[in-house]
Amino acid sequence: MKGQRFKFLLVMCLAVAMAVVVAACGDDSGSSGGETSSGQTEGAKKIDPASMDSAKGNVTYCTGKDTSGDLKEGVKEFNKANPGLTAKLLEFPESADEQRNQFIQRQRAKSADCDVFESDVVWTAEFASQKWLLDMTPYVESRKDEFVPSTLSSVTYEDKIWGAPRVSDAGLLYYRKDKIKQVPATWQEVYKQAQSGKGIVYQGASYEGLTVNFLELAFAAGGKILSDDGKKSVIDSPENLKALQFMVDGIKSGAAPKAVTTYMEEEARRTFEAGRADFERQWPYAYALGEMKGSKVAGKFDVAPYPEFEGGGKAAILGGHNSVISVYSKNPGGALKLVDYLTSEKRMTKNAVKYSKTPVLTASYDDPAVKKSLPFIDQLRQAVEQAKSRPVSPVYSQISQAIYKNVNNALSGSTDPKAALKKAQDDMDKALATF
Amino acid sequence: MEAASVQAGTPQRRRSRGIPERRLAALMVSPSMILIAIVAAYPIGYAIWLSLHEYSVRVAGLQRWAGLKNYTTALQSSEFWDAVRTTFIFTGASVVLETLLGLVMALAMHSAFRGQGLLRTVVLVPWAILTVVTAITWQTIFEPSLGFVNSLLGAVGLPDDTVWLGQSPEALMVMIFADVWKTAPFMALLLLAGLQVIPDDIYEAAKVDGATAWQRFVRITLPLLKPALLVALIFRTLDALRIFDLPFVLTKGAHGTTTLSLISYETFQTNRILGAGSALAVLTFLIVMIVSFVYIRFVGGNIRGLAEE
Repeated sequence: MKGQRFKFLLVMCLAVAMAVVVAACGDDSGSSGGETSSGQTEGAKKIDPASMDSAKGNVTYCTGKDTSGDLKEGVKEFNKANPGLTAKLLEFPESADEQRNQFIQRQRAKSADCDVFESDVVWTAEFASQKWLLDMTPYVESRKDEFVPSTLSSVTYEDKIWGAPRVSDAGLLYYRKDKIKQVPATWQEVYKQAQSGKGIVYQGASYEGLTVNFLELAFAAGGKILSDDGKKSVIDSPENLKALQFMVDGIKSGAAPKAVTTYMEEEARRTFEAGRADFERQWPYAYALGEMKGSKVAGKFDVAPYPEFEGGGKAAILGGHNSVISVYSKNPGGALKLVDYLTSEKRMTKNAVKYSKTPVLTASYDDPAVKKSLPFIDQLRQAVEQAKSRPVSPVYSQISQAIYKNVNNALSGSTDPKAALKKAQDDMDKALATF
Repeated sequence: MEAASVQAGTPQRRRSRGIPERRLAALMVSPSMILIAIVAAYPIGYAIWLSLHEYSVRVAGLQRWAGLKNYTTALQSSEFWDAVRTTFIFTGASVVLETLLGLVMALAMHSAFRGQGLLRTVVLVPWAILTVVTAITWQTIFEPSLGFVNSLLGAVGLPDDTVWLGQSPEALMVMIFADVWKTAPFMALLLLAGLQVIPDDIYEAAKVDGATAWQRFVRITLPLLKPALLVALIFRTLDALRIFDLPFVLTKGAHGTTTLSLISYETFQTNRILGAGSALAVLTFLIVMIVSFVYIRFVGGNIRGLAEE
């Protein structure tokens, strides 16, 4: 009898201990009320550009780890130039998922920790629909001509502008200039040359990077992901199939190594720098690293904007970060003033020259100092200008999973491309129907 | 958990006078019960509460009662059952291998020889390394073109182009391998403790009676090791059932390595679907509870004797 009770207790204790672990990742939803509204961002508070004129007090800029140091310098300079205002930087972990989690947790708790948040371009719609951001339309509209137009598409959701672009990013085609005489005009030609040479590497692992890599080819082939009203998935189309089949054939023919299905940025970079690939699809950050001592390709490579997809056109996918202002900020005027400073031409140009950050302002691309320190700035400009946004949706994380999981299955050969796209479409429709 | 089992033992001791025994027992147990209620019962209750609702991912603050819908959706989805299968294959394979390997290591460490201390230290190294670090290490070793494994296979003339983490079932095999490498020492440590409480004179008596080494192992070592073995098994099984870090780092769940914890995390944390994510967590909880119940009910005949030891 006592034995029985003890057993029961032990079972309960073990179970409870497990449950704590399982439930530990559960944070507070903090939601209440239950009103519905048709436009998800209806009634969002607008921020008045004039509010920054007389701003005083403290502001905090939340961001992922400032590895290059450009934000630290920016904040310091801002404090020097604005005696009545004190800005400080709050750094989150380096991983993108973790930055997003940290910000979401604070917003759910209606915390005033972050006046400004450095949001990845793909999070904007989600944050806006949760009413966590101030509507910055009037401010950004007043500076509209300064920005490279493509960068504004990532801050626009439901016809309102929710942030100011601060850093841009777009993929480039890295190639060995000692082996490749002339950059091929089409992707098909790139793969053909890759097949007879040492191959092409890209980001093919099952994660966000693969969504970008696939969409670059799919958009170039003329494909679309969501219907115009954004309510349905149209990924299962002949154009997208052409792009996916092209990637799958590339692996089968040996143009790309089988291992790309496990590659993220760093694996691809290491392979290219070890001289084991002739082409690489990569972000601009790898340029400076590739020229450093220890890289076997230093002085032997160059970059180009993406070529055309045969029978389609050119496309790239926009990366980068936007400065968004929290609806729970106690000092929105000061926050806007800080954003205004950090996205100013002076700052942007300095970031490009000193920290190799891709500018979002057209003026910075023309600056002689920038041209000197970033020799590939013209290629980069073309890449950013032709770049398209990833689908703008509050359920973006699920949409992206539907893409990268199924595309990865097709690349590794466990599903055929047609079935993979069909499954991606089903998964995405399910995602779009999320309550 | 340990505190609770110590407390659970207390009221069983005889007291001769003073406050009625049952009242005193309740009184003495209450601090831990209150603590458990705060840190365990509340989160579980809250998770169950969340799992019975739907919280909109598009409209701020919108929520509605869902009843058991989150559960029926999960139980009807192939993703959930795939995760259950993966989790059980991983748990079964890794626990069996770890137990066998751990037993061998424990027996080796138990026998007296020169350098015994050094061996014990060396054996424990993998266990002292963080799981995430372990995962990254093995990821590098199994990297297809620059990694050690394929270079070695190539050097001895075997096919050297396997993308270990990029196909099924190889990815799951690497995951099991990494787990066995890391936790077999833990198993060995627990079993070594069990071996050391077996008195030497039993072995001597057996030797005098003419028992062979194998007979001594099967008739003396194993039965007397059973309590320690059982504790070790329970620890490892429950640990393996909630495996998260290895697949998270190695593959992000691709190629048949999505475990129950990973799918709950992705739904709840990454996709912010609080209701469905909580339902998955509660289902995981139930599975773990059933498994521990089965263990103690059917495998652990003398679990009580073990606890009192």
